[in-house]
Amino acid sequence: MQAFFEPRRWAPFLEPAIWQFIWTGLQITLSMAAIAIIGSLALGLFLALCRMSRLPFLRYPAVVFVETVRALPVLLLIFFIFFGAARAGLGLSPFGAGTLALTLYTGAINAEIMRAGITSIGRGQWEAARSLGLDYRQTLSYIVFPQAARRVVPPQVSQIITLIKDTSLAAVIGVGELTRRGQLIYQSEVNPLQSLFVCACIYFLINYSLSLVSRRWEVDAALGVPPSGRRVQPVGPLPGGPSAA
Amino acid sequence: MLQATPTALAGGGAPPPFGTAVLANLPFLLSGMLATVQLALLALVLALALGVVFAILRSVPVRPLRFVGTAYVEFVRNTPLLVQTFFAYFGLPTVGVRLPAFTAAFLALGVYTGAFVTEAIRSGILAVDRGQSEAARSLGMSFGQGMRYVVLPQAIAATVPPLGNLSIALFKNTSLASSIAVAELLYNAQIINSRTFATYEIYGFVGLCYLVFTLPMGALVGLLERRLTRYR
Repeated sequence: MQAFFEPRRWAPFLEPAIWQFIWTGLQITLSMAAIAIIGSLALGLFLALCRMSRLPFLRYPAVVFVETVRALPVLLLIFFIFFGAARAGLGLSPFGAGTLALTLYTGAINAEIMRAGITSIGRGQWEAARSLGLDYRQTLSYIVFPQAARRVVPPQVSQIITLIKDTSLAAVIGVGELTRRGQLIYQSEVNPLQSLFVCACIYFLINYSLSLVSRRWEVDAALGVPPSGRRVQPVGPLPGGPSAA
Repeated sequence: MLQATPTALAGGGAPPPFGTAVLANLPFLLSGMLATVQLALLALVLALALGVVFAILRSVPVRPLRFVGTAYVEFVRNTPLLVQTFFAYFGLPTVGVRLPAFTAAFLALGVYTGAFVTEAIRSGILAVDRGQSEAARSLGMSFGQGMRYVVLPQAIAATVPPLGNLSIALFKNTSLASSIAVAELLYNAQIINSRTFATYEIYGFVGLCYLVFTLPMGALVGLLERRLTRYR
């Protein structure tokens, strides 16, 4: 314990240059995450719709893709895409390969989250919309999506947290993101415990804040507060039984 | 000690037929698979043990203990497993704890998964409404009978599927041990890949090796989920 607090091992973190170095790494981590979040949400929605389609040539490929990719380790996907692209002669950078692998993996998981969200909207909603004269697309976009979107937010946020943690795996193929830079720092300063702890704290701050936002959303949703609406005092127990929050 | 067998490309001749690299290295890959399974099983035991202990800590009415439980869960769940693995393998030696790579990977995986197990168990306990045990008591059941026939079946039914999913995630996460040179499946695949350049073949085969475990586990969890809903 005493060795952990040894001042000379913490000294590097008093230099602005080290924080500049970390900040650049954090920017790379966050850009990977941002690209993969947008890509995987789009891919997830597409796959979820394909999987619920009545057309077999859309449904079966989506089922095979989702079930296979979900069941593989992310690191394997990263290696497969990085080394596979190199083998095929495509000049895919470590950043590109890592982001693509994370997008595909998270996309497969998002597909299942969104499918669960959409199927959780009761049949009655569909029937009511159709009997009011809305067609399939109108029902989906005006009745089902708005309700499903709100239910999907909490699991989707925890998937984003997982994604941010998974960006660290890109360090293994040499992307200079946060974890890789933490390693570079301790390799020259010989303070692995301290450097890795600082890195862990940065991930923690980002992810814990996200989880707090998600928890507040869940409470609001259970109370029936519209998004960005005024919070009201709960009267009696929350409707809908105990939530996971 | 098993070694990877280089199969070609060094001489610059025609590449060997598809499948050669895997066949020539089958024992090496299988030894990696064995290490993966061992690592997963050992880490699962540690994770379950930690999960039970910290789930209890998180529910006792003693504030400092509860804080310890919450701190563990929140910090560990919100930081990457890779950082924790490096912490155990490269960091601990600087405070005099020198662990072999396999042990460091086991420790990191167990501690990481333990935080998720803690939450799974805790939400299983919270999922059973207080009214259930009160109703059991008012029907004349003893405390033990109420637990045995009313509360525990529901709590376990609510906990088992999440634990199954955590086991699948744990199995996949063993692949991170390759980053500290534990000779498990993915690490051995990397070594063969660097010697044979049979990238698609090697990683394709290793992918199948993971699927052989994760797909049946997923099917089992789905089955349990459907069968256990009658207890809820």
